[in-house]
Amino acid sequence: MSVHDDHHPSAWGPHDWSHGAPHNSWSPFIMSVGIGIFLFSVAGVYRWGEMIDAGSIALVFAGLAIIMFGLAVFWRQDMSFDGAYEPKATGTPFRGIDIRKVSVWIFLMSEMMVFTSLFSTYMRYRFGIESCESVFESGQWVEGTSVTCFEPAGHLIASSWFHIAPGAINTFALIVSSFTVVQALRYAKKVDLDHKVRTKLVTRYLGATTVLAILFLTLKMIEWFIGFPLPEFLAEYNHGDTTIKSLYAEGYLINADSYQHHYYDTAYLADHGHGISHDTELYAMMESGTHSGGQMMANIRVSASTFYVTTGTHGVHVLGGIIGLMYMTFKASRGGYTPENAVSIEYFGLYWHFVDLIWVIVFPFFYLY
Amino acid sequence: MNRKSMRTLLVLSAIAMAMIVSPAVVSYPTGIQGVKDSGCNCHGATTSSEVVPSITGLPDQYNYSESYEIVVSFVGGPASPTNSNQGGFNLWVSDGELSPSDATVQSYNPNEVSHTEAGNDQTSWTLIWTSPSSDRNVEFILHTNSVNGNADGANGGSSGDMWNKLTAKVSPPVLVLEEADPFVVLSTLIVVSAILLAFTLAYVFYRTNPESFTWDYFAPWIADWLTTTDHKKVGTLYFVAGLFFLGVGGIMAMMIRIQLAVPGNDFLTQDQYNQFFTLHGTTMIFLAAMPLINGFANWMVPLQIGAPDLALPRLNAMSFWLQPVGALLIFTGVFSGSGADTGWTGYAPYVVSETAHMGTTMWVAGQIMLVASSTLTGINFLTTIAVMRAPGMGWLQMPLFTWSILIANLMLFLSIPAFGIGLIQVYLDRVIGTAFYDVSAGGDPLLWSHLFWYFGHPEVYVVIVPAFGVISEVIATSARRSIFGYRSMVYAMAGIGIVSFIVYGHHMFTSGMSPTLRFVTMLTTMLVAVPTGIKIFNWLKTMHGGSLVYRTHTLWTLGFLVTFTLGGISGMFFPSIAMDLHLHESYFVVAHFHYVLVGGTVFGFYAAIYYWFPKMSGRMLDEKLGVLHFLVGFISYNALFWPMHRLGVWGMARRHHTYFVTTEEAMGALPIEAAGWNMFISVSAFIFFFSNFIMVANMIKTLIRGEKAPPDPWGGWSFEWMTESPPPTPSFDPHNLPVLTDANEHIANEPGTLSKLFNRLMVSEEDTEEVTH
Amino acid sequence: MISFFVSVFTFSWLYHHSFWYRSEDADDYKNPDEIAVGVFPKHNDDMRLEVAWTIAPFILIVWLTYVSWVPLDAVWSETGEDGYHGEECEEGQSSNNQLDDYGVVTSECYHVIEITAKQWVWAFDCLDLSTEICDTGSDNIEVYGTVPLLSLKTGETYLANMRSEDVTHAPWFLGMGVKEDTLYGAQIGPSEYNWPTTLWLPISDIVDDQIILCTEYCGDAHSVMAGKLVVHQ
Repeated sequence: MSVHDDHHPSAWGPHDWSHGAPHNSWSPFIMSVGIGIFLFSVAGVYRWGEMIDAGSIALVFAGLAIIMFGLAVFWRQDMSFDGAYEPKATGTPFRGIDIRKVSVWIFLMSEMMVFTSLFSTYMRYRFGIESCESVFESGQWVEGTSVTCFEPAGHLIASSWFHIAPGAINTFALIVSSFTVVQALRYAKKVDLDHKVRTKLVTRYLGATTVLAILFLTLKMIEWFIGFPLPEFLAEYNHGDTTIKSLYAEGYLINADSYQHHYYDTAYLADHGHGISHDTELYAMMESGTHSGGQMMANIRVSASTFYVTTGTHGVHVLGGIIGLMYMTFKASRGGYTPENAVSIEYFGLYWHFVDLIWVIVFPFFYLY
Repeated sequence: MNRKSMRTLLVLSAIAMAMIVSPAVVSYPTGIQGVKDSGCNCHGATTSSEVVPSITGLPDQYNYSESYEIVVSFVGGPASPTNSNQGGFNLWVSDGELSPSDATVQSYNPNEVSHTEAGNDQTSWTLIWTSPSSDRNVEFILHTNSVNGNADGANGGSSGDMWNKLTAKVSPPVLVLEEADPFVVLSTLIVVSAILLAFTLAYVFYRTNPESFTWDYFAPWIADWLTTTDHKKVGTLYFVAGLFFLGVGGIMAMMIRIQLAVPGNDFLTQDQYNQFFTLHGTTMIFLAAMPLINGFANWMVPLQIGAPDLALPRLNAMSFWLQPVGALLIFTGVFSGSGADTGWTGYAPYVVSETAHMGTTMWVAGQIMLVASSTLTGINFLTTIAVMRAPGMGWLQMPLFTWSILIANLMLFLSIPAFGIGLIQVYLDRVIGTAFYDVSAGGDPLLWSHLFWYFGHPEVYVVIVPAFGVISEVIATSARRSIFGYRSMVYAMAGIGIVSFIVYGHHMFTSGMSPTLRFVTMLTTMLVAVPTGIKIFNWLKTMHGGSLVYRTHTLWTLGFLVTFTLGGISGMFFPSIAMDLHLHESYFVVAHFHYVLVGGTVFGFYAAIYYWFPKMSGRMLDEKLGVLHFLVGFISYNALFWPMHRLGVWGMARRHHTYFVTTEEAMGALPIEAAGWNMFISVSAFIFFFSNFIMVANMIKTLIRGEKAPPDPWGGWSFEWMTESPPPTPSFDPHNLPVLTDANEHIANEPGTLSKLFNRLMVSEEDTEEVTH
Repeated sequence: MISFFVSVFTFSWLYHHSFWYRSEDADDYKNPDEIAVGVFPKHNDDMRLEVAWTIAPFILIVWLTYVSWVPLDAVWSETGEDGYHGEECEEGQSSNNQLDDYGVVTSECYHVIEITAKQWVWAFDCLDLSTEICDTGSDNIEVYGTVPLLSLKTGETYLANMRSEDVTHAPWFLGMGVKEDTLYGAQIGPSEYNWPTTLWLPISDIVDDQIILCTEYCGDAHSVMAGKLVVHQ
């Protein structure tokens, strides 16, 4: 039965790193099938934004489960506690450097292109479609008919300090988590440290990173879908409202083809003592009686799509980081990181810093501007 | 290999099978034959068995060109003489002509009739069917409405109405076989090819060791292939998959050519034709050309640079396995009859419009997986080539094939994320309803064109540059010279790589870009000719003063030089915009890119197959069969694509399922000679298609009983010729890597300024110490 | 022409070398570059030659670009003084098309028409031009069935403003060899990028009746989405 086993250790079990030869692995095959099933079944559940077959949801989770299983096989093979096989470069410009470190950098290069493409999309629409605010002020609309315009999420979010809060906390959470992951690497690499102490410290810092990453996604869910209440005494700083509504509750959605908001309602503005600015065309038109005012209705599907997909792609990267961090925390708690074998924390750190950096760019563009 | 893993394997293959069979995503209840199935504007939601339609007056066998008076009628349902209206019908026929015999029936077209306003209050209608003048199996499809005659306003008076459907068949005087549905033909051919492939593999396995032909040996053998991370085995997997899909794409091309052989042909419907050319393009580029290139890259790059394996072997296996699964997704649409029909470019907004088939979603999903695969491949090869070169091999001592793979991967790697994001946007648009390309919500179709061509143009060079690498290797080895102007070859390839990113606008000349941009694109596009010219002249000069040994791979290389030069020159017509305006989307374009992709990439990789097959398998290929393959293939190839230039100038448009020639009676788009040329092209296409089986037969034959190959059969200099044929695993001993010496005087090992800078930036002190110890 | 010379040059070089330097068997070859396995062979290059065939094609293509500039300018002529076709015609004014030295049609003024595309039919609109100058209708071409017809007058120049109502299309005036995409979205929303695409149709003496085909893939009946241009005196 085992004709090849002497050459290739089990395709399921841990790798013998000192062997140096390629090892067989079931992981690539399983993960590819899982990804295929996932993409296939998601399109079976939804079509044009409408759920068509709830039965396929089981298949979506089956696909995810198969991917996770493949990942488990991958990591099972990676779990080594004795020594390290970290191949070094032999080629001239990078001689002596860890091979896998180069590949992580190259991987980040393509990630850069991914976000560049998303930002190009954003910029094309942001600067190509007139913003809802200027359409409103120009008076080129009538009540009851939807106009196509660009409503930046930032306009909604930056309208109140409390609305920004989840995003702002998230920014700090990610920056702090970049620090904790470096601390984990520092202690893992520290030579004059008892192995037990090191294990404890590394586990603790990696755990902290995981918690911060989970906090990030939780706050994002709150901001997107749940919203949060404000204590009574803060309400006066929020137009007298005691809840901060989620983007979902505000109607900022990818299918919002008739989005209405009180910014774009002349009656609301008048009631709340703002009125509309006197140097706008809308004001002049209302004064002269050519525009009757009222509430503007907008098709903001493109703006919502760019917002959710760009921040969502970043969110998926954080999710990927969480899955990786969970495995690493587990490995750390088993004493898997030693000064000779701490490279995976370093590589993960590179990725994590990148995700952090992207957020630092996404945040001002999508939340503040 | 234990039993548990076998079980998992079985479960996984069951899932894979289920994915093919389950039509959940793509099948539309209306099916694909618009006129036949949904031509009836029937009242009520579903069919009702209470209504019984019938056709009387039809013969069992018709006589040629005879008129038959037929009566269509129905009984049952809510119809009754007291109603204000009683019913209606729609009759479709596959052949012959239907015509009304009185005012109660109207004709939409020769194939379809229905009742008129006047014929609303009856349950039977009389009409005339004129039978065809040739032997056809004729099919009638009848829909009848049984109407209760109420007028319930909003429902158009159709609530409570019922309908049913009837089909009838009439045979010709001389019995003919049923016409085959091209989709059935395609599916059958694909399945048969897959089974043949499986049998061939089983046979090869059997021949390697007849005693071990039992399940107990076979299971671990196949499991080893499924799990392997060895660059040579993954390379072979790529190679086999690439050849398989080359065949599948070829079958589709043959269907297209049957359809286009005569003007006004109806072998394929418009709808089927659209799917065939879409999948032909996608298959050939992503599933045939790229895997073939990756196959050789996997095999040869580590061997050429003296590395034991690729940098990340498991990710390498991952890049491969994403491809067949992605291919399955791409083809799911075809198996359920509504595959993608967008063209391989998938222009927005058509790609996100509801008129595009449902299979488009899966086509996009499959390509997302291919993008992931290419990204992983890119990481792997860039890392490997940058850091794993054997001692003594500086950047400018790498074999040119490795250089070409480095540059191709760099181009691909920097451009494919844009395509991936575009695809994800389209996927989300089609699935969860975002609005990236929904024009009514303000989406911009040109954004897709930009994202696509930002990737798409470098992609074209990604498939051609590795062929340059192969040609450089083969021509130098065959001429017994070192390549002329090694450094200018490298710089020319790098130049192509850089220019490729700034020329993509030429695909959008007719899309309304600003005149300034158009001029810039025109100039940069012309610039591509400069590095390409350098390469061609260098190859020619390489032969100067050498001793050219004629082998099959040499022949293919010379063939490449001819066709690629022609393709390159025909390409020079496009940047001249005034000409492009005429030739854009015409057969001239089709001829041009087939000259470059088939005459360039495919010929280049045929040369690679004949050149490296002995190294990969340890067996020499049969030279006689090889020369036969070259002669038949090269001649039929030129006969196939050369006339297309002329068709394009005449005005034959690309992606049209048929064309019409001007005759004495009718005005068509093309002169009458075009019909003859198209037939000539179709015949040549079949010859070209079948000529490739000579190569496959050659490979199978030599695998079984070929002459054993020496380590260096052709006299090349690079490291792959140092190893045994086939090479051992790991390819080189990691503790005893080969060292490259240089016949030139200058010392290559001295790191340059850039290398020193990199070292200072990226290597920590400790690491440096380790190396020096 | 240039293409012809380049290919004759390249191919004669190719055939000469491939036969002149042919060697029947591999044993009698000289090894001028010291090829051996595992040794990077001697460089075989000539800087002057390589630079020469970098510079020469470069000059060639710059010249080609310059040559194709005039027809390009004509095809995408601007309106007004700088263009080839002047300003829009007054009522009753004629374009008086002339061929200039480069074979480019110049005119005194032009008429505006409109082309609208939708799946899968063309719609031509003469706006308020008199039927003498521009006429529309439909015609039955045997193979394409009933197609819309555009009738234009010889000696006049037309500027077509083109839009689409669903996906991207592109009319190809076969006999004149021009085409341009029609974009959906060219009329939607207050976007600064939204403009209709335009196409010049200078009808000179050599333009004959011709078929108009769609050349941007637009779905099912793309291949029979035809129209007909008729030229009248």
